[in-house]
Formats: sequence, C-alpha cells, structure tokens
Amino acid sequence: MDYFIQQSLNALSFGAEYALIALGLAIVFSIMGLVNFAHGEVIAFGGYSMVIMGTLLTNNPFVLMVGVVAACVFASVALERVAFRTVRGADLTTGLLTAFGVSIILQNLFLLFGSPRPIAATQFIFLDRTIAIGSIRVSSLQIYETVTTLLAILALMFFLRRTTLGMAMRAAALDFEMVRLCGVRANRVIAGAFAISGLLAGLACIFIMARRGSVQPHMGFDPVLVAFVACVIGGFGSLPGAVLGGFLLGITEVAVLILLPQSAGGLAHAVVFALVALVLIWRPDGILSPAREKGDKI
Amino acid sequence: MRFLPLNSAQRQGLLGSAMLSLLILAIVGAYYLWGESYQARMLYAVFVNLLVVVGLQVFTGNANITSFSHAAFMGIAAYVAAICVTPIAMKAISLPDAPWGLNAFELSALSAALLALLITGLLGLATGLFMARLTGVGVTIVSIAILVIVHSIFLYRTDIFKGNQALFGIPKIFDLPQITALVIVAIFIARAFRESAVGLKLRASADDEVGARAMGVDVFKVRLIAWVVGTLFFATAGIAYAFYLGTISARPFYFNFVFLTVSMLILGGLRSVTGAVFGTLMISMGLELVRWLETGPVISGIKFPEVLGLSGLLLGVVIVAVMAFLPRGIMGNREIEDFVKRKR
Amino acid sequence: MLEISQLKVFHGVIEAVHGIDVSVSEGQCVSLLGPNGAGKTSTLSAITGTAKSTGSIRLLGEDMTRLSIEERCRKGIAISPEGRRIFSNLTVRDNMLMGGAMRRDRAALLSEIGEWFERFPILGERAGQMAGTLSGGEQQMLAIARALLSRPRILLLDEPSLGLAPQIVAKIFEIIRELKSRGITILLVEQNAAAAIGVSDKVYILNNGRISRQGAAAEFGDGSDLMDELTGVHS
Repeated sequence: MDYFIQQSLNALSFGAEYALIALGLAIVFSIMGLVNFAHGEVIAFGGYSMVIMGTLLTNNPFVLMVGVVAACVFASVALERVAFRTVRGADLTTGLLTAFGVSIILQNLFLLFGSPRPIAATQFIFLDRTIAIGSIRVSSLQIYETVTTLLAILALMFFLRRTTLGMAMRAAALDFEMVRLCGVRANRVIAGAFAISGLLAGLACIFIMARRGSVQPHMGFDPVLVAFVACVIGGFGSLPGAVLGGFLLGITEVAVLILLPQSAGGLAHAVVFALVALVLIWRPDGILSPAREKGDKI
Repeated sequence: MRFLPLNSAQRQGLLGSAMLSLLILAIVGAYYLWGESYQARMLYAVFVNLLVVVGLQVFTGNANITSFSHAAFMGIAAYVAAICVTPIAMKAISLPDAPWGLNAFELSALSAALLALLITGLLGLATGLFMARLTGVGVTIVSIAILVIVHSIFLYRTDIFKGNQALFGIPKIFDLPQITALVIVAIFIARAFRESAVGLKLRASADDEVGARAMGVDVFKVRLIAWVVGTLFFATAGIAYAFYLGTISARPFYFNFVFLTVSMLILGGLRSVTGAVFGTLMISMGLELVRWLETGPVISGIKFPEVLGLSGLLLGVVIVAVMAFLPRGIMGNREIEDFVKRKR
Repeated sequence: MLEISQLKVFHGVIEAVHGIDVSVSEGQCVSLLGPNGAGKTSTLSAITGTAKSTGSIRLLGEDMTRLSIEERCRKGIAISPEGRRIFSNLTVRDNMLMGGAMRRDRAALLSEIGEWFERFPILGERAGQMAGTLSGGEQQMLAIARALLSRPRILLLDEPSLGLAPQIVAKIFEIIRELKSRGITILLVEQNAAAAIGVSDKVYILNNGRISRQGAAAEFGDGSDLMDELTGVHS
C-alpha cells in the first residue's frame, strides 16, 4: 500500500512536470500553430539567470524563484519578438525548423557564455526533502510539484474563462482572424500566449533546478521532447489534451520503470516513444484533438 | 540520344546531374592537387553528409514533409555493416558480450554492405507503411519518435552497440575514390527520382494533396516509395561512414547530426537536388571555417580566444535566417542546368 | 463616411475586383449585389483588411489601407462576416464580450449586452451556452450583435440571410431596418436582391469584379429586372 502511494505520487509529480511544460507548448501552438521547441531553452535560460542572480544579488531562494519565473517570461516574450514574428502565419514545418534553429542558437550561447559542464545552483535543493506522512515516506518536492501544477492549471483556467485576453486566446485558437476583426491586437494575444508559456516554463524550471541543482546548456531539451510527446498524445493544440498527455506520460514512465526489470531502465524513454507512435497510428490527431472550424460558405 | 525514352525534364536531369558530378570531381581533383592529407578525412565527412542530404531530398524535398529519423537509419546501417565486417578476432575484444553469436562470424565487405542495406531497407519499409499514412506533422512527430527509440536502444544494448563508447576495430574499406563514386551515383539517382513519374506525382501531392488524389495519384504509394528510397540513401551513408572511420558510436546518430543535415537541405532549397548539394557544400565550408576560429587560431600575429559553440551558433543562425528570409532556400525550385539554359 | 476608389482586390496572384468606386454616406444603408464570384466578399475583405488590395479606402476621410485588421476595427469598421464565424467554443455571452473586447467602458458594454439579450430573448436564454449549439438564424443575430458591440462607425454585413429559412430571413431584414432607423451606417452584401433593395438607400451591382450598375434604391424597383445580372445568366 505504501509502495503504491509512493509510486502514485511519483507518477503524479513526473506527470505534473510534463504537464506544465506541455501546457506551455500547447498554448503557443493553439494560437499560432508553432511547435516551440525553443521552450526548453527558455527553461535553461531561467536556470542560467538563477546562477547569475544567485552570484550577483541574493541567495534568498524565494527572491530567486520570482527572478527565475520573471526571466523565463522575459525570454519567452523576447523570443517571439526576435525570432517567431517573422514566421507568423508560415506553415508548420517552417515554424518547427525555426524553433529548432532558435533552440540551437540558445544552447550554443549558453555554451559560449557559460560552460559545457554543469554549473551548480543549489538554492532550491531544500525543496526536496524526505518527509513522513504517517508510515509513508515521500519527497516534499513531489508534493510541491503536484500541488503547484494543479494550482497553475486552475489559475490558467480562470484566466482563460474570465478575462478578456484569455477569452481572446481561446477564440484565437479557433479563428484568429475573426478575433482581430473584433479589434483585438494580434500582437497582444500572441505576446500573452508566450508570456503564459514562459510563466509555466519558469515554474517547471524551479522544480527542475530543485532536482538537478545545476544548469547545463542542454538541460531543457529532453523535458521539452517529452512534453512535446505529451502534447501529441493529448492532441496538439488542446490544452486539456496537454495536461492529460503529461499525466499519462508520467504514469506510463513510472509504470514502465516498475514493470520492466531494473536493468532495462534506460529503455523507459524508448517504450514511451513507441507508445506515442502507436497512439498516432491509432488516432493521427491525438486523443483530445480540438475541432477545427473555418468560416466556410454554407 | 534517342535510344532512351526520356522526356525533356529527365534529359535535363541527366545534364544537371552531370554538371553536379563535375563539381564534385573538381572538388576531389582540387584536393588531390593541392590538398593536405588531413583534409581527406574532412572531405570524406562532407561526402557522407552529402549522401544523407541528397537522400533527405528524396522524401523530405519531394513530399515537402520534414522528417528527422534519417540519423537513426544511418546509425542502424552503420552498426550492421560494422558488426558484420569486423573480423572475429577483433570482435572478441571489441564486443566480448555480444549475444546471438554476433561476434562469431564475419562477412566480406560486399555482403556486409548488402546485408546492412537489406535490413535498413526492410525497417524503412516497415516504418514507411505507417509513415505514408500519416499527415505532414504526424510524420515529423513519429520520425522524432523513431530517432529517440533507436537512440535509446543503441545506448541501452551496450553489449551490441557499445552505447556512447566506441565500437572499434572496423577495417577501413572505403576511401575517397569510393565515396566520390557513391556520391555521384546518388546524385544521379536522386535526380532521376525527382524527374520520374513517382517523383512528379509526389511533388504534385506536396503542392495540393487533395488535387493530386483527385487526379488519381496514389499518395500513399508514392510516399512509401520515396520513404524507402530515402532510407536506402541513409543506409549507404551509414555504411560509408563505418567503412572509413574504423570506429563508430551512438552519439553522432542523434539530434545534432539531424539538425546539421536538415539545415543543409533547407539552406540549399528542399525542392531541388542541386540545392541539397549546394547547401551541404556551403554549410560544410562555413562550419570548417568557424571550427578553425573556434580553436582560437593565430591570425596575423593575433591569438584569438577559444570559443566553444560558435559553429553550433552559426548553424542555428543559418536555419533561422533561411526560414525567415529565404523559406524556399537558395535554389527554390530550380536545378543547376536552369542557370545554363537562361544564359542561352 | 466610407469612400472607396479604384479598389482592386487580390487573392494571391488572382485579381478578384478590378478597380471599383463605392461610397457610403452617414446613416445610409448601401447594398452591394451580384452573383456568386462577383467580388462582393472580396470587397468587404479589402475594407476590413483581410485581403490584399490596392486603391484607396477612406473612413471619415482617414486612409485605412495601411492599417492592420485590428486597427481598422478600432477606427470603426465592424463586420458580420460570411459564414458568421461566431466563436463556437465560447459561450454566447463570451462571444458578445469578444465583440467589445477593445472597449474600456466595461459597465456600458455589459449593459449593452443586456439590451441585446432583451432584444433577442433566445440569445438571453442561452447566454451561458456554447455558441456552436445555436441555430443558423441565432448565430447570425449573435454575429450582428457582436459586430455592433464594438460601437462601429460602419457595419459591414456579408450575406446575413444565407442559408436561413424564409421567416428567419424576414426577421434578419427587420433587424437591419431597425438598425438603420437607429442611424447605423450599413454596407450590405446580399444575394437576396429584393429584400436588400427594400432596406437600402443606394445599390451597387457588381459583376465579374466590376460595377455594372449603380443608383438610388428606388431606381431598382423590386429588383425583379435584375434577375439576369444577379444570376449571371445572360439571355
């Protein structure tokens, strides 16, 4: 029983991290059809900012957390301005390759100005403690992670349903041109999407840093690859799909780790990706793919 | 030239391929005349990339669907060829724990290469049956899945693939003349494919899939053919890679190589074989220059600092700039002979 | 109010409208009639900025041609587009809120939405329902309400009667007449010539991207002599 609860929490926290990152990808994709592979570098940028702020400003972890989130929001919005505005409205492949290009540029900038080796940044490590609830011993980080993700999802739902900008984003996912015809500035909607995406990346960054305790140029690539897969499983562009996909992947990964013999741990990723390929063949548009509507003549 | 039943596009294809081959021969000739021996390795690597990029053009270019799995197929072929061709005595040291008697046999270079082509081709066929059914984005996504799966297996089965360690002791079978011949053959085949009925149908379906279907094009079939043909190019590149370097490891067959080759293709222009060749040559030269700068060279007495990551940075900038300002690449839809024709 | 001159509209390399002049005065309802493919919707798209065009488009003397889609809306051009294009994944109320998304006076906006719900009780009843569940006629009313909630200077209506049952069509034209009586300037694109002429002050007939006839609505009678021109059949 204890084992089951521990593993469930494991799955939830894995899933929470994937869901956070996947939501960041999905919100941008739903609005401008861009698969933002540079999202991982936004996370890494948060990590490097943390190193810089930690050295120059303060070691207070709570100030640093705010700083990390702010840095990620800044990076995300800045990327849109500098790189993705030129490919707005371009086809999917163009956007995807641009995002990959941006991702490579950023990774190499980190390499140039940082170091290929990990740089320690341990201010958030304190989040990860083993705590005992009754007879069960769990990691506090996993609880924080799960709770924060759920809160972030609720806040996002509130934003999307109750604010004008949020509504415009939901509407833009369906018919961006019509949203502009209502006088809503396209730049604001897109900047808003990238800001939210950056915010979610910032939260993910805090947890990743709490677990790793160091930054590296490529640190964002693998999480985003997995989050990308989560989006695919859930149906690209669907926000509930991204969350569902994230948690499904978390559960799958933990299940694979439990079910496969210890020695096959390295294959967890392979199994997960194989499942994705199967899902795509079964439902090419993902499980919860959004309905696409266009203002066709009746 | 009346004995071949070729249409005018195909005749032009022959002309274009011949011109590209002359360019390749000129480069090789220049090396033999003025090159230094360390540059042979460099040139060989460029030609391996060229095989891959021309192969990419076959599927990605003609179908206009980005795929990232080529490094996986190249890796599979490289490992198959390497494991088959390495002498038993050597495998006893390099692969002591290999299962299924993999270290208890050896094949001639030719049969090893053919077996590698066969296995990779069959895998290409198996994946292609699914790939050809998917929509554009689906292919990209599943191709990433294939890349990750294959890479995970390379890393996991260290008893066969040695993971990130080197699988060493592969005899050196190919050298510059062989790869030059392969590249020239590849250019002719890729161009012939582009101008063939299948290639034409594929390009038509890329422009307007519904329209092409309505005209009776079996999109599934033409995509499948292109996918398998492309896979064979990657397999050839993998074999050539293993047959020259003497050691292989899993690391080169992953995302970095994928980005490198895809950016070569998009810089030159997806839709043209000439573009694939030009893009490869230009990025290879640019990277060589930057790599030299990276090491901190001494130029006219000034020692420049060592800057890691400059080559990667350049690659990223090329991709972003091409996508933003030149989305159809340098060549667009044109081929090399179009320049000659216009001057007439 | 709206002055269009020498307007050419392009879809890619194809020129759909070949240099037309249209003018709409304050408080007028002007109809743009013509057969399918005549360039009516293209003209409206050029005015809203969703299609590429050359020539001049002036609203109250101000040049619109260099403005983005959203800026034109902010200057006072609102449209109930072809196919209505309501946001089917938003509730009816949220659709209306989107119409007034750029307004700062939220209280006034909310009370206006309340007025619309009184005017169209069926929309009021379904305020919290997804707009995609509405019938065609209801969606059309919603689209008109959404456009007007931006408080436009001019309302563009693209085939509001398309695909609706005759009683609903009558109701839509009743709404248009009412809007006109409230002093709202309207540019109406229609295939239903008789009904459109009935509510209009001025009529333009568009054929193959050119204006083939224009004049006061009274000159067109009940529109029955326009049959040939509007169906594109030349006897």
